[in-house]
Amino acid sequence: MSIVATIGGQLLRFALYVGLYVLLFDNSSVVLFNLGWNFFYLGFLLFLPINTPIALQLLLGFAMGFTVDIAHDTGGLHAASAVLLAYLRPWVLRLLTPRDGYDAQDTVNVHQMGWQWFLVYLSLLVTVHHVAFFFLELGSLQHPLVTLGRVGVSILYTSVVMLIVQLLFFPVRRGRFQ
Amino acid sequence: MRNLIAFLLRYQGVMLFVLLEVVSLYFFLTNSSYQRAAFFNSANAYMGVLLARRTQVTDYFRLDELNKQLQADNAQLRRQLFPPDFAHREADSLPVGRDTLGRIVYRHLRPATPQVATAPGLLAQNAKLRAQGSLRPDTLLLGGSKQATQPLVPARVINNSLREVDNYLTLNVGSVDGVQPDRGVISAAGVVGKVQAVSAHYARVASVLHSKLQVAAQIKRDGTIGSVSWPEGTDYSHAMLDYIPRQNRLVKGDSVVTSGYNSVFPAGVFIGTVESFTTEPNKNFSTVTLRLGVDFSRLTYVYVVPTPPRAERDSLEQHTGELPAPVKAAQAQAAKAKKP
Repeated sequence: MSIVATIGGQLLRFALYVGLYVLLFDNSSVVLFNLGWNFFYLGFLLFLPINTPIALQLLLGFAMGFTVDIAHDTGGLHAASAVLLAYLRPWVLRLLTPRDGYDAQDTVNVHQMGWQWFLVYLSLLVTVHHVAFFFLELGSLQHPLVTLGRVGVSILYTSVVMLIVQLLFFPVRRGRFQ
Repeated sequence: MRNLIAFLLRYQGVMLFVLLEVVSLYFFLTNSSYQRAAFFNSANAYMGVLLARRTQVTDYFRLDELNKQLQADNAQLRRQLFPPDFAHREADSLPVGRDTLGRIVYRHLRPATPQVATAPGLLAQNAKLRAQGSLRPDTLLLGGSKQATQPLVPARVINNSLREVDNYLTLNVGSVDGVQPDRGVISAAGVVGKVQAVSAHYARVASVLHSKLQVAAQIKRDGTIGSVSWPEGTDYSHAMLDYIPRQNRLVKGDSVVTSGYNSVFPAGVFIGTVESFTTEPNKNFSTVTLRLGVDFSRLTYVYVVPTPPRAERDSLEQHTGELPAPVKAAQAQAAKAKKP
């Protein structure tokens, strides 16, 4: 696969995730139990190729977060937590390395890597992101129970949506471009 | 040199991470300040167009609801044009007495009461209202003859947030339509917020659900002044009314309206009703919870208030170093209460 095709494909993914998030999964219209938000756009960062350079991941995380920030008037809130997620992603990937390392063709895919691997990967990163996001948003630890409730419900919500995206749109067979 | 490059490459991740976090947090922390460049928010040209498009599409699925709401607004406004039920109950040509020269005085020729006569502005306004057949002041009709001639700018909400700590709206009107920062925004149901930044065709509004926005308010029944705020952790249908002295009597269901003291909103625009209140022995002020008149979850059409003659008033108040006296007293009391 040529580099141009890869970059083009990733740009398309970026546009798709941002577009769907801003136009459809808007936070004020799709809310679970009046508490939980859905951070659909995180799918772009979570499902990037495994060998993406760290610097590129950070820049993409910032670009994604900042675009959402502009749409939601939150300044740099989404950007700050998305950059944190992008920074921690290689660590989590290293932590979860299979016994004989990652294959060249391996991608973050529930069919290829297995349920256990995928769920640990997803829940770790989503949890870190949501905790950072909600406490940063509040700017204090004043209402810990309400905020923890929001974090908990949001983790559930985002994770389920990410799982649905995986099951619907990611190939079951190995080695195909998704 | 080679060592330096090697060092930079080795720690590129950490350094870039720290750099990007600092940039994001800087943007986040300065977000609610007014000096912020108007570009990086939802009122900029590109995001504004995108959000307006989204609203066009989603509106299509809510036409029914939108029509009902507009119809309700219309009905309410129209009702204010009709004469009240008791307007024609007495014949307006019955003699009501004789004046000092012995001439018969008819009711419709009676001179205006002295109270009204002392305020020519009010009289003019009253005459106007009388001409419309209503004596009840309309919340959308602004006080003062100068302002009343300037129309409200109708606007459509194209983006709205409810559940964040600082909530904003984006409107589809901008500087081209005569909207400027610091204008008040109201809807038929009451106060909505304050314009924070404008571009040519869009405006960003800090809604009442913004932790730093305070609205000068008063209780309609007895005129007690206070300040409406929305502290963190309150839901979007409630707000707090601060600085009500504890000795003042409060009644559940009292209407709270704007006082007009901070010259962003005209006086008398509805804000909400008192839902609950408590007085605590160690505080000088009651804790009052309001139910907001505006339902922010289904806000669609709003009006931007025209410029009040505020530059003059603000500079006068700043020159003399005076806030309006009751506000100052309340603030002093609050400061005193905090100290011990």
